[in-house]
Amino acid sequence: MSVLLQNLADFLLVALAALFVQNAVLTRGFGVSRLTKLVSDSSTDSIIFCALLCTINVLSALPAYFANLFLETPEIWYRDYLRPLVFVLCAALALLVVHLVISLLKFRSKANLLAVLPMATFNTAVLGPLLIMAGQNFAFIQTMAFALGSGLGYAFAVVIVTEGERKMNNRSVPAAFRGLPIKLIYIGILALAIFGLTGHRVAI
Amino acid sequence: MKDSRIRYFAANMERLSRRDRVFINNPVIMQGLGLAPIVIAATTIQSAVMLALATAILLTPTRIIAAALSRRLSLTVRAIIYAVASGAVYFAVAWIMDILFANQTLQVGTYLPLMVLEPLVIKRYENPRRERITTSFRKGIITTIGFCLVLLLVAALREMLAFGTVGGIVMFRGPAWPMASMPAGGFILLGFIAAVWRGTVAAFKRNVGKGAKKLQ
Repeated sequence: MSVLLQNLADFLLVALAALFVQNAVLTRGFGVSRLTKLVSDSSTDSIIFCALLCTINVLSALPAYFANLFLETPEIWYRDYLRPLVFVLCAALALLVVHLVISLLKFRSKANLLAVLPMATFNTAVLGPLLIMAGQNFAFIQTMAFALGSGLGYAFAVVIVTEGERKMNNRSVPAAFRGLPIKLIYIGILALAIFGLTGHRVAI
Repeated sequence: MKDSRIRYFAANMERLSRRDRVFINNPVIMQGLGLAPIVIAATTIQSAVMLALATAILLTPTRIIAAALSRRLSLTVRAIIYAVASGAVYFAVAWIMDILFANQTLQVGTYLPLMVLEPLVIKRYENPRRERITTSFRKGIITTIGFCLVLLLVAALREMLAFGTVGGIVMFRGPAWPMASMPAGGFILLGFIAAVWRGTVAAFKRNVGKGAKKLQ
């Protein structure tokens, strides 16, 4: 029982850290290019995108963990060269699983989901956490927790940047700052707030 | 501006807005691509040079390989081809970077392998139109130039503000704005650079428009 509780506490701690103090967007800038597009793109549903990204994050972390164990064997001296390709293949596997599940289900917004799925998969917000997990030699529980936390952290960043975008979309913002520049400055201030909370820079 | 130049820009502005990836339609400033390495990892000229070189080796070959392979395919398959091609080309990138910089690549941490899925490199898969090999080569080169220009500019400014040096050469004593080396500083600085750049492009377009009207 105590082992279960210990693992659960470990899971929650790592997930919460990935969600707030090591937020993928605000501390490491993972997926920020996509985020700046997403918050001002009315044709893509942010909720669907974030839900898919979270799912892909968790599903790709599973094969990536075992693939990384294999890559860490001493014979593979070129592991650092190969790791991104292996993780991309893990993400592609997760994409195919999600694609298959969506294809088998019957619902109205199926086409929308399938159109957004590749963007939510081949994203630095998916590859980044996998590389961090590999670099920091996370255990299995920590890997899954970090993947989930990173996905939720991305969704959290999307929500606050979308809200900020709504408030900044007015005439008091100088013309040259409207759009991307003011969004970057706003994300910078949010990143500063996270830095104020943690008091240190995260390892890149 | 000379009349002949005004006529040229007025006649070609729409085409230039689409094709020019260095000033008028810079991938970073106008399209918001390649932001992560710039705002987080590009804190010194040295780290920017490493990222620029990696991009130069990665972007164009990936685009050419993917353009050659992904013809008349669905969005999902195109995305997989672009991502896998990028991952495969990265093998060569990492090998070359290891030879040239050895352990110094640790400065840019995960941002070197992260370039594999950077939208700057693979975003073309979202466009269903077929791309010719020559077009992918040309666009790959000019996109790389546009990205590297902003990357080096931001890195030089961050190094100067955060450490008082540029490329290791001391410009002034002590840091002027230590936050420039942090992610928050990177975002804020790039935001200001983007505003100035976009303002300049808008003013340039306005001037061309006014000049063209006068000439009519």
